[in-house]
Amino acid sequence: MKVDVDFPLLNRKWLLLGYAFIPLPFILIIGSFFTKIDVGDYILDLMSGCWAAGFLILNLTRQNAEDEMVQKIRLQAYQLGFFYLLLGLFVQVIFNFIVSFWGFSGVTISTFSVLFLLNFYIFIAFHFQKFNNSQSI
Amino acid sequence: MNNTLKVERAKKDITQQDLAEEIGVSRQTINSIESGKYVPSTVLALKIARYFEVTVNDIFELDLED
Repeated sequence: MKVDVDFPLLNRKWLLLGYAFIPLPFILIIGSFFTKIDVGDYILDLMSGCWAAGFLILNLTRQNAEDEMVQKIRLQAYQLGFFYLLLGLFVQVIFNFIVSFWGFSGVTISTFSVLFLLNFYIFIAFHFQKFNNSQSI
Repeated sequence: MNNTLKVERAKKDITQQDLAEEIGVSRQTINSIESGKYVPSTVLALKIARYFEVTVNDIFELDLED
């Protein structure tokens, strides 16, 4: 499928860096115990920031075969990812509003968590569709 | 959309991989088309038809859901 706008994709070598970001927060948290550095206040941002970067790189990395089916699946994955992000944020806002009646502050919505959720949903949607399409009848 | 891609491939005695290489897509794409999970673009459908030396209508046809 020919697209009007070229979608910039990274070389396959970037996959390694993308996957390296997934366990990174756990390594940093374990490391902080030994170095006595207090990361308690930043732990959620640290986790969602690392995972956001990791999944962003994985989503932007070229597949082995970039043909029209992969491009279509990718478009659908971005569409689904954005939809589920909006749905998730809407649910979170409603949840925060309801728990505020009991004096709770609810779940914090940060830029990192939004970026993480968006890229995570896109990654799941893309790989689920790819797996689903690869299954024979 | 129904298709007879598997039949056409069997007539020519070629594998999914062979066909994929001939028309420049992945084997997974051919598999998805054969199993009806993916409907190819017009360009790809024409490439497939040209490879088998038939018309697009000979391979692809609309089903009741379309």
